[in-house]
Amino acid sequence: MDLIEQQLWDYIDGNLDQIQAKFIEEKINAEPQFKIQYEELLQFSQKLEDLTLEEPSMSFTRNVMEDVASVPAPISLKTKIDTRVIYGVGGFLVLPILAILAFTAYNSTFTMPRFDFDLSFEVNKMITPTALYAFLFVDLVIGLIFMDYFFRNKSISG
Amino acid sequence: MEQKFTDLELIQQILNGETTQYALLVKRHQRFVFTLALRFAKNREDAEEIAQDCFVKAYRALATFKQTAKFSTWLYTITYTTAMTFLRKKQLDTSSIHDDETFIQLENHTSSLNANDYEKQNSHDFLNQAIGLLAPDDATIITMFYQGEQSLEEIGEVLHMQPNHIKVKLHRARQKLKEKLQLLLKDEVKELLWI
Repeated sequence: MDLIEQQLWDYIDGNLDQIQAKFIEEKINAEPQFKIQYEELLQFSQKLEDLTLEEPSMSFTRNVMEDVASVPAPISLKTKIDTRVIYGVGGFLVLPILAILAFTAYNSTFTMPRFDFDLSFEVNKMITPTALYAFLFVDLVIGLIFMDYFFRNKSISG
Repeated sequence: MEQKFTDLELIQQILNGETTQYALLVKRHQRFVFTLALRFAKNREDAEEIAQDCFVKAYRALATFKQTAKFSTWLYTITYTTAMTFLRKKQLDTSSIHDDETFIQLENHTSSLNANDYEKQNSHDFLNQAIGLLAPDDATIITMFYQGEQSLEEIGEVLHMQPNHIKVKLHRARQKLKEKLQLLLKDEVKELLWI
């Protein structure tokens, strides 16, 4: 779609601010070609606005009401939710957490243990046959998941 | 009687136990919901089934409706979701007019229109037919904007898209609609646009 048409649609839909709308208005008055395009789009828009809605069958409302008759009546959430229950559940969950925190604080000496950052490790000791098998097994599982995902997508798109 | 209460007042009455008032809400919105459903289903029986399903779903979820938004927007969201689910289930052909199959359908349709005499059809019929040839999203946007009188923001809410995105999609949908009208009517489109 060209820019002019887009500007005209924005003007017709009322999506432009005052300055932009005035600019388009002046352009419509000044350029005959622009005016023709504007009138064409305006007519088209009018036709769309004039479209009438489709009417369902005469028994539609009755059918809906028959269907909803078997459904439990909706009740306002304000009525449904008892705040005492909410506070009760909240209290039940919060109180043990507070008790554990208080117990920990009471028994704590508030001293931090020393951390020993010994990062030296021997690679040879870590690469054992078991570690290798575990690594390959994880790779196999990932591969299978990927293949499953790939073929599933392929079958959906195909 | 029907317009005596606003949507929100009616909802409040229903939530307070006056469930028969739901019939008024249904009557007020059924034409648009049915029209929107028809954009997806393409035949009246299926559209009526979708529309009926929407109203039942809306009734079930009425208590969760946040009364800060328009009821119509909320209801159209349910309609859109239900209709999309219906489409997926039925696996209806929703491809564009550029597909060969759709071309065949269109050609058949056009020839049948020729046989039945174009003059008997009015511009609304042609427009509705052309909208029916659009992709469901495009048809929904056009229907909601022009017939549902929903703003770009409200349509965005229904389709889970930003208003700017909806604006672009609306522009494109109208463009496609014009193309489909041109295909449908060939020479008659000029007459339609200038009547």
